[in-house]
Amino acid sequence: MANIDEKLQKIARDLLESKEVSLIIGYTGGSHPQRMRPVFITKPEDVGRLSFNRHSVQDLAVFLKKQEVKKFGRIGIVVKGCDEKALNVLMQEYQVSRENIKIIGVECNGVIRQDLADKGETDLSENTVYDKCLMCGEHTPILHDYLIECADPQISMSGDIKPFAKIEELDSMSSEEKDVFWEKEFDKCIKCYACRQACPLCYCSRCIVEKNVPQWIDTNFGKIGNAQWNLIRAYHLAGRCIGCGECERACPVNIPLMLINGKMARSIHDLFGYKSGLDVDAKPVFGVFSESDFNDFIK
Amino acid sequence: MEDKKEELAKTSGDNDPRIIAFVCNWCTYSGADLAGTSRMKYADNVRVIKLPCSGRIDPMFIVEAFKKGAKGVLISGCHPGDCHYISGNYHSRRKYAIFRNLLGFLGVDLNRVEFSWVSASEGNKWVHIINEFTDKIKSLKNGSNDIFKK
Repeated sequence: MANIDEKLQKIARDLLESKEVSLIIGYTGGSHPQRMRPVFITKPEDVGRLSFNRHSVQDLAVFLKKQEVKKFGRIGIVVKGCDEKALNVLMQEYQVSRENIKIIGVECNGVIRQDLADKGETDLSENTVYDKCLMCGEHTPILHDYLIECADPQISMSGDIKPFAKIEELDSMSSEEKDVFWEKEFDKCIKCYACRQACPLCYCSRCIVEKNVPQWIDTNFGKIGNAQWNLIRAYHLAGRCIGCGECERACPVNIPLMLINGKMARSIHDLFGYKSGLDVDAKPVFGVFSESDFNDFIK
Repeated sequence: MEDKKEELAKTSGDNDPRIIAFVCNWCTYSGADLAGTSRMKYADNVRVIKLPCSGRIDPMFIVEAFKKGAKGVLISGCHPGDCHYISGNYHSRRKYAIFRNLLGFLGVDLNRVEFSWVSASEGNKWVHIINEFTDKIKSLKNGSNDIFKK
């Protein structure tokens, strides 16, 4: 573990000293040993704070959308495989340019769920990691300027745990049953928009929910307003969401948002054979079309 | 203004469900116009809202129509290849394939949303689609509950 930190710190020191970047976004120890938090390093003498381990759950790409961070110009960022996919989408959509970003990739074999880590969990196993880690196909970041090898062993899969099994369960339900399920979930929503703030790809300077002429989404937390918000949030991320799971992690009332995002990703893969965040040169799925697209639902 | 919109979309009774049709200016609206000028009869449950192109029909419009009390929503535009703006309908087809899945996943009865391609010469098809869709909506259970029901 210390080995990773040393390598990380050396890369960061070199980058800052050579003035190749003016800011490094990384992880540092948090409020207790099982928590990591983001850290912003601007001086070479501070690089000792940088660290990475199996509790580094946050997707740091989210900070790239912030004006306060953008003004630094050239930025170094520590990313896991999943976080790097968010960078790819941001580059695809011309939100960041490759020249301004130094990607310090860290190989990752899974991060421990924060709710379990808070209870003292430190073992990396299929029962303790996020569902996204079980399905992860990008343990090594796709694009990277520097790569730090993984210290953790690969998770052994018994096959008993099916990631996102709930999606299939919901798919097989009738619309009334689904409605009952989602009504209960959306009822919890307090419209804090943490899901939006935590999302690396929700970068609109003015979100649709804040536009009030006309007011498309009810801002109260009534049944319809909640449903509308969650529906539109998912729709605006369809074909873009890279499945980092930050929305669900940020949600204070634990709405299973990744079920909706996961369902959208599956639909898009089934219908258009597209997976977001894998190819930085690919055109966004809703930016292009094919004459032979799925047409069965149209009379 | 708000009241008017509410009035437009509101379903007065279960036997008289309100259906909102979002149509494109160039094909489906002309098709509906043809049905009208040809004096064809069709169900009067539908209220037509004309937009420049099916690519202009934001999924929010569907949500808004349901929210205001419509029982069914029809989206209709030019046949693939016929779009006045060359590719608007191709883009909307992609959007709606996914949006429809999303609605279904969140528990909206997909019988309440219909999509069609109707050209300017297909007055007959328009009449057929409206009648069929109206019958389908009428046959749905009264209590068809979903996330848009107040």
